[in-house]
Amino acid sequence: MVMFIDLYTEANTFLHRLDPRVKIFAVLLLSVLAFLMTNLYSLLLLLSFIFLLLFLSRAKWSKTYFALKFVLRLMLLIVVLWPFFDRTGTPILLDFGPVQITEPAIWRGVTSALRVGCLASVWYILMFTTSQRDLVLALVRFGLRFDYGLTIAVSLRFFPTFVSTIDSITDAQKARGLVFAQGGLLERSKKYVAVLVPAVVSALRMADSLSLALQSRAYGARFDRTYLRQLKMQAKDYVALVVVVTLLVLPMIAKYVYSVPI
Amino acid sequence: MHALEMRDVSFKYKGSKQLALEKVSLEVEKGEFVTLLGCNGSGKSTVCLLANGLIPHALPGELSGEVRIFGEEVRQKSVAEFSTKVGIVFQEPESQLFCMSVEEEVAFGPENLAVPREEIKNRVEWALDLVGMKGYNDRSPFSLSGGQKQRVAIAAALSMRPEMLVLDEPAYALDPVGRMELYSVLKELKEKYGMTVVLAERDAEEAAGFSDRIVLMDDGKVIEAGPPRLVLRDPGRLRGIGVVPPQVSEVAALMNSRLKVSRFSFLTVDDAERAIVQELSSKGRPGAR
Amino acid sequence: MIPSREAASTVERLVSVQNLKFTYEGGIEALRGVSLNIDRGEYIAIVGGNGSGKTTLAKNFNGLLRPTSGTVTVKGRPTAQMGVAELARIIGYAFQNPDHQLFCSTVEEEIRFGPLNLGYSENEIGTKVERAIDAMNLGHVRMSAPLSLRLGERRRVSIASVVAMDPEVFILDEPTTGLDAEESRELMERLNSLNNDGKTIILITHDMKLVAEHAKRVVVMARGRMLLDSDPRGAFSDLDLIRQSNLEPPAVTLLSHRLSDYGIPQDIISPEELVLHVMRFGGGS
Repeated sequence: MVMFIDLYTEANTFLHRLDPRVKIFAVLLLSVLAFLMTNLYSLLLLLSFIFLLLFLSRAKWSKTYFALKFVLRLMLLIVVLWPFFDRTGTPILLDFGPVQITEPAIWRGVTSALRVGCLASVWYILMFTTSQRDLVLALVRFGLRFDYGLTIAVSLRFFPTFVSTIDSITDAQKARGLVFAQGGLLERSKKYVAVLVPAVVSALRMADSLSLALQSRAYGARFDRTYLRQLKMQAKDYVALVVVVTLLVLPMIAKYVYSVPI
Repeated sequence: MHALEMRDVSFKYKGSKQLALEKVSLEVEKGEFVTLLGCNGSGKSTVCLLANGLIPHALPGELSGEVRIFGEEVRQKSVAEFSTKVGIVFQEPESQLFCMSVEEEVAFGPENLAVPREEIKNRVEWALDLVGMKGYNDRSPFSLSGGQKQRVAIAAALSMRPEMLVLDEPAYALDPVGRMELYSVLKELKEKYGMTVVLAERDAEEAAGFSDRIVLMDDGKVIEAGPPRLVLRDPGRLRGIGVVPPQVSEVAALMNSRLKVSRFSFLTVDDAERAIVQELSSKGRPGAR
Repeated sequence: MIPSREAASTVERLVSVQNLKFTYEGGIEALRGVSLNIDRGEYIAIVGGNGSGKTTLAKNFNGLLRPTSGTVTVKGRPTAQMGVAELARIIGYAFQNPDHQLFCSTVEEEIRFGPLNLGYSENEIGTKVERAIDAMNLGHVRMSAPLSLRLGERRRVSIASVVAMDPEVFILDEPTTGLDAEESRELMERLNSLNNDGKTIILITHDMKLVAEHAKRVVVMARGRMLLDSDPRGAFSDLDLIRQSNLEPPAVTLLSHRLSDYGIPQDIISPEELVLHVMRFGGGS
């Protein structure tokens, strides 16, 4: 199962080495920009920029394609369906009863699809170049309470374990003659009880053990806990930050202050 | 002052109808390696959970009697306070490692105690080195074998610099290689560092060789306590309470019964080899004196 | 000629594995070309350390996994053409962790689950369930909630639910882990009794003592290959092989090797045998 959470691949690229806080900030800015841009060509430019980043991250195209397959389908769906719901503008290309397809609507559909593409790719790059550890660390540095950071970290850590437990349970029930793919909706849902119950019990047991382990290591003993790993902004991170802000804020100023049609 | 002292301790888990411990008295001296031997329900796990305060603070129930951990009564201090004196390792490798990397896991304890960063770094390196997991800092726990996970769990307990380490059936889920790795770490802890260790086990095979004392438990009570040679002399009795005796002790018992003597007592293969070689080479025929 | 033909036809080949290779998604080569045959009534132990491929091999028998290359045939038919549920009628699999399958409110319901799925009639299910409860000595807890029982009892429930499916082959993955000496002995006794009734037993384990005491045939796995397929004595006389497979020989076997200079045979697998030989020394050679 390709899990969105598990996209991180270790590599020594410029993007991998950037401070995760800078990356998160950049991704947020890029996302905002994608929403604010309405011009098709600006979005294409943005998308190309993102693809440049993708190239810099040395992600394998096959892996990227596999992860973003769903997004590509969504984009196609948007392009195809948009004109059926947005009927304003001229020239009208097709007028057939309830269906009225206009040219501007088609372009707006393509624009929206590109927007989705930009968002998905930019978050993909973040996940691909940043380990879960660094992501949580960055969130905590941003001000997230350590308790919540730990909750996220523990959930991420146990996700593959839980998936493997469910696989094991499914196997055990299949070996008892349970066939999941048969029967009507109600019948199938009942079959999943055979997986759900042991899964929940297993999760609860694990949570119990975890709680004992946490307490044994003095979790919560002091408010002023130390953190071994630190995030230190280095020169390259500051430079990247300045570049990101400039590249992204400039178009927004151009659009809103100087009314450039971006 | 004993490392662990229990006087007439009885305990019933909340919601349970049976006593998990019934008037248990035992002591563990500093620097001793004590193995609590018993099967499921014998009470050995309960003793482990008392040894660092999880009972009664995290696991409520009816506790009577006196439990002193390095002189402090268990009811007077919190688990967090005991955590600097007592480290604990549980039997399930998966559910006691919750961080995303080995380094974070081992650093977690001292971080919570606000130990300075440099000191934490030193402790992490020291602990990983001790358990033979040097260099594994950035590995994720999911990618480790069972034996490696348990060794990381030991390191995570050791980084808090406890004076006593408690292990509740740590080899339960491990394959033979994992077991060997684990026991060699425990042996080293005892021999090189003189750490006080309390080990709960159901199989006496490995621990028999290097325990200072064995405490035999059954049904919540202490049946016998003493040096391994004494406590493990009767394999039949051990089997009767659900404990697996060292296989060589069965050999000793059989030889004793065949020759109608009682001088044979083996705890390890080395023991047995030495004694049998002596019998065979010096006497020519076993039993001929 | 007729007697030997009769002899050949009374032993039925239940599972046949030819050059089985299996690679997991993600590239891990778990099996690198394993071949073996399993006949009716055998009592086999498949042993190896973690990662040896023993569990992967067993899951290829009941269709949970299908060969990447090579073939696995069960009663003459390739598993690739059969569904897991279909194979479940012939090959029962009791998993290592009983908590990964228990979900019903009573032990009896839990044991009914298997035969119910296989489509037996209510009458047949009743008989099979009774027999399974009897075989695993669960009469006194039949109306209890499986999750409230001790590990030993939960294990027996999990095995009973496989017994109730009445398969011809039983695969048991580490059945004695976590059981105390008495529970373990009792369980193995019941398995022996099943074997005596003609059922084929396949144990997957890394406990060599268990293997020494019960199995009639040992298949040693390491790193995806089969290193040895012989009777237990053959397996135990080769210490290097055992160590190579990340296994530990029983202490008495180790001892017997150390005493080889004194004429003690090196394939000893029980304390009684060892003492017998030690006593004989000097009296004979």
